[in-house]
Amino acid sequence: MDEKFDCIIVGAGVAGLAAAMTLARNNMKFLLIEKGEFPGSKNVSGGVLWGSDLAKLVPNYWEEDGGWDRFINHRRLTFMDDQSAFSVDFKSSHFNEPPYTGVVVLRSKFDRWLADKVQEAIDESDYAMDSFIAPNILVEEVLMENGKATGIRTGDEKFYADSVIIAEGVNNLLTRQVGLQNKYVPADHILTGIKEIIRFDQEVLENRFQLRGKSGMSNEFVGFATDGVEGGGFLYTNQDTLSLGLVLGLKDLREKGKEPYEILNTFKKHPVIADAIHGGEVVEYSAHVVSSGDKRVMPEKLYLPGLLVCGEAANLLMNAGKAIQGMDYAIRSGIIAAEAIINAKKAEDFGETSMKKYQDSLNDSYVMKDINNFQDAVHLLHDPVMTQKMPNLICDFGRNFFSIKNEPTQKARKMFGKSVKKHSSYLELMKLGWKGSRAL
Amino acid sequence: MKLLTLSEQLGLVSYRNQSKSEIKPHIVVDTDICNTVCPHKCTTYVCPAKCYTMDEQGQVHFQVEDCIECGTCMYACDQGAVSWEFPDPEIGRGVTWNYG
Ligand SMILES: Cc1cc2nc3c(=O)[nH]c(=O)nc-3n(C[C@H](O)[C@H](O)[C@H](O)COP(=O)(O)OP(=O)(O)OC[C@H]3O[C@@H](n4cnc5c(N)ncnc54)[C@H](O)[C@@H]3O)c2cc1C
Ligand code: SF4
Ligand code: SF4
Repeated sequence: MDEKFDCIIVGAGVAGLAAAMTLARNNMKFLLIEKGEFPGSKNVSGGVLWGSDLAKLVPNYWEEDGGWDRFINHRRLTFMDDQSAFSVDFKSSHFNEPPYTGVVVLRSKFDRWLADKVQEAIDESDYAMDSFIAPNILVEEVLMENGKATGIRTGDEKFYADSVIIAEGVNNLLTRQVGLQNKYVPADHILTGIKEIIRFDQEVLENRFQLRGKSGMSNEFVGFATDGVEGGGFLYTNQDTLSLGLVLGLKDLREKGKEPYEILNTFKKHPVIADAIHGGEVVEYSAHVVSSGDKRVMPEKLYLPGLLVCGEAANLLMNAGKAIQGMDYAIRSGIIAAEAIINAKKAEDFGETSMKKYQDSLNDSYVMKDINNFQDAVHLLHDPVMTQKMPNLICDFGRNFFSIKNEPTQKARKMFGKSVKKHSSYLELMKLGWKGSRAL
Repeated sequence: MKLLTLSEQLGLVSYRNQSKSEIKPHIVVDTDICNTVCPHKCTTYVCPAKCYTMDEQGQVHFQVEDCIECGTCMYACDQGAVSWEFPDPEIGRGVTWNYG
């Protein structure tokens, strides 16, 4: 491998794989480097891959039984207090037909499968013998010459290319090394995600969650789930396992002095969760940092001459309560980055202005449009009124509304008023409603 | 469902290079900082694998063997005590997730 590549991609997560697929299809000569034993082996998500961009990478992926676990046709958002759960529940056959609008994935399986698809695309390209996916290699440095990226270094070995795409994920050491992100990133807009995989007999799982064929359910949680810490919980159905976990605001966790695994156990003991998971066997415990979607943590500039940053390495993520979107942003930004490299190669110009086109296209895409439009919603999710008082109030109201006693029943409005007074105030609610209506 | 203790949870993790007696630590902690200036010692409770512990004298200790590479301590430590790298695939520790 002495020759120079058109591009070196660092990281075979979804962003890097999306970029690689795009390069392979456009007959580019590239090297995709991954530090894990195989693509996906280091990666953790919830995880629902939202939207239909997967079909851009693997057309008709639904025709084969591989990679992804279930499609989502049942969504639920749950507000929790210590004993109750009040849910907004939506199920629709609208979501039953491909292209699906969300598929649940397990990254160790999904990324590996996607990498096989990339390899197939390489095999069909002009550079079948010259483009590579190289696992088990840790990139220690991006080589820079006169402000331009020229390649990478691993140990004593160096590989050279016209361009480098950094797709290294949220723990973006190389993005920091090249100076696009500060060396120290504070905990303020970062969350710690922790998760268990719980295995069942497939039939038990399907009966319990009313799943048929490959249909699946996604459930997000706000309130007691995180035991007073900012953030939320999630439960997703895989083929024969559940993904159950939490994302916890790291600064708040630090301030409240709580241990993430204790919060997870408290969540598992909640009567509603206990009912959902009983009889299951925990087969994996994992954790990974995840960004908040707050723009304040994002690098302002995502390019340098010969270099682009995509996926969560650029902190591209949206979490406004009803879903975490990191993987679909990673795919779209990976595709856009690769397209910018393809155009640069055609123009034989990997300079600053050529690379800037990546960020311009990203700004025009739904990724940056949503991030820009929903900043208030991201802040709202980290507002203690939203994460604690609101779920308590809603559950208190639910308890009264759904209790039928043999005594005169109050009108719902009056019940609601009582719950509001107990947990909050009309003023606080109005402020929240005002913020919410502008945010959403 | 029976709740798992943290050591049971970590017992489910596939760590790399477990047969090697010597590994190159990918995280180095300057515990002098922990034990002199750090006001909160937060890594002893926010680390999901409890790699940071506090003894009876209140002294902070760090071991890298159980680390699941989540990244938390790199952000949580605002005292500059944590030097964080990814583990070397050949001579480091770190994880291989079976599900992820
Ligand atoms: C608990 C949790 C729940 C989540 N839930 C969801 C969800 O439901 N839906 C969703 O869309 N998103 C979710 N996310 C976010 C999502 O997982 C990420 O946004 C997404 O994985 C980002 O993809 P990426 O390709 O940018 O980075 P990653 O998936 O992190 O991939 C980066 C890759 O680069 C490799 N790498 C890094 N540095 C180097 C190096 N120096 N040398 C070689 N290789 C390197 C890594 O090993 C890795 O394979 C969740 C995250 C967590 C933690
Ligand atoms: S936060 Fe930093 S300085 Fe404080 S105990 Fe943890 S590692 Fe040490
Ligand atoms: S990276 Fe995560 S698991 Fe490893 S020591 Fe830091 S906080 Fe603990």
